[in-house]
Amino acid sequence: MTSPILEIRELRAGYGVRTVLENISMTLAAGDWFVLLGPNGCGKSTLLDCVVSRLIPSGGEICIAGHSLSTAPYEAKLQLGYGCAPDVLPGLLTSRQCLEVHAGAKGMAAIGDDLFALADELKFTAYLESFVDTLSLGTRQKLAVLLALVGDPQLIVLDEAFNGLDPASALVLKRHLRARIERRRGALLLATHSLDIVEHYADRAAVLIDGRLKHAWSKDELQRLRARGDDFEAALAEAIGEP
Amino acid sequence: MAPRLAAANLIRLNRRTHLLARAVAVSFCLGTLIALFYAERDSALPALRWLRLHGLLCAVLAAIASALLIARRRSLKRAEYARSWLAAVPVKVSAARWESLAIETLPAIAAIVVLGVLGVACALVLVLAKRAEFFAPFAIEAYLSGGIAAGIIGSYLVPQPKPAILPPGSRYVPHQKVSRAGGVRPSLRALGAWPIRQMFAWAQPKIVSRALIPILVMMPMGTTADAAMVVIAMFGTMGALLLLWSAVIFASRAARSWLAPLPVPRGAVIRAFLLPACAVIVAAGAIEALLLLVFNVSYRTSAQLGACTALIGCLTVGAALVWILGHGRTP
Repeated sequence: MTSPILEIRELRAGYGVRTVLENISMTLAAGDWFVLLGPNGCGKSTLLDCVVSRLIPSGGEICIAGHSLSTAPYEAKLQLGYGCAPDVLPGLLTSRQCLEVHAGAKGMAAIGDDLFALADELKFTAYLESFVDTLSLGTRQKLAVLLALVGDPQLIVLDEAFNGLDPASALVLKRHLRARIERRRGALLLATHSLDIVEHYADRAAVLIDGRLKHAWSKDELQRLRARGDDFEAALAEAIGEP
Repeated sequence: MAPRLAAANLIRLNRRTHLLARAVAVSFCLGTLIALFYAERDSALPALRWLRLHGLLCAVLAAIASALLIARRRSLKRAEYARSWLAAVPVKVSAARWESLAIETLPAIAAIVVLGVLGVACALVLVLAKRAEFFAPFAIEAYLSGGIAAGIIGSYLVPQPKPAILPPGSRYVPHQKVSRAGGVRPSLRALGAWPIRQMFAWAQPKIVSRALIPILVMMPMGTTADAAMVVIAMFGTMGALLLLWSAVIFASRAARSWLAPLPVPRGAVIRAFLLPACAVIVAAGAIEALLLLVFNVSYRTSAQLGACTALIGCLTVGAALVWILGHGRTP
């Protein structure tokens, strides 16, 4: 039996004395597009920060492709791609240099052509020599996603990655991600407020309320909702107990 | 209601935990100043006499400085208010007028208050020391405060300076635009360029020209142009080193967050930042040695000072990088 792409066991995390996440356990298998939903401030970004090692959890364990993030961080991070927030990108490096740093950090000899093909589709190639601080929000968002895909990682983690993208680019990206995780047998963990992604692309979804996983939808449940043509908004409201 | 003052007051209340520390710091500074003045009262008295004798000149200078600074502050604050989260809040015309006046003239009012406190403190010291000139601090304070107050009124006559909108930092970064048709060349080398570019981005022409003014003012009368050029070059080199040191700290902190999810060893990141920075520091040390030679300092001393600057610079940058990137779980 192959190990899951992402395994989170009894995760606990917070800032100082404030606990944000309590007893979170979840697993992402190969081919999963997992959407994390929840109101503002519920802990979605904190959970992603723990998964990508930007925040050290106070308890629990995270394994990526069978490697523990605490005991074998190098091996775990080799299989991880994270689309950071656009404001974290270094303003005084060019887009090409950002790609070079990410590829260099992953010990790659060259970047695959598929990434440049995606950059072309996203109309990003013209900005490769531009400094990041001259790029618009949407263009920076495209760069952040491209950086997440460097090295063809098994686990892709994206936080509100479609914010600021024009509809055409967002559609290109969604289709590309769907095809990539199926071809690579990888997994995608996406935190978002866009319910259309759950309705059309996600395999599984969960809603996080006050730092706890309140409800999760399996692949079959989502497929049933799609087959019935039901609105996911209503299902979400029902799950979180809103009228 | 004055929304900007109300918001500022709420922010002040949110930071009330620091009030005691601030009060202690201010009291300590004031106490130190009074103690220094008491200890050096004999040598300070001629300066006080000079200031009192040339009170009118001091008042005129204070008025000019106050007028220029308040005019600039007014322009900045108005531009800031137009973009602020409170811009759309309805405010009565009269309230908006006095609120703007209070905000724009705040530094001048604070300066008058500080001058008053210092005047009273100096007068008390002179009374305790049984000096007849105890009235001099009040006279100087009156001249300066009058000048500042006149400057506030005069600021309305100064043409409004244009609000400065700073362009992206990369505008000032020397960068050769290369069109590489091939793929990227994976490497951490670009990290080394980051602090150097940050240094150029911070050293914008306007900032450099302003930093030059006090250096030119400090030159003694009769300084020749070539000597002045050497001094400016020396200050420029030292300023660049200081900026580079700050830029390394800034860039490595930012990189720590950006590179956290990547499988890159800390040593590799530190090396990528350190080597180009050290190359620039060593070059600056060499320039410093050359400038000292031009000033007729001996070869030996020039080389020693240049090497010392380079060594201290490299060590402090290395220590800062190890401190920032060398601990924690991620690079």
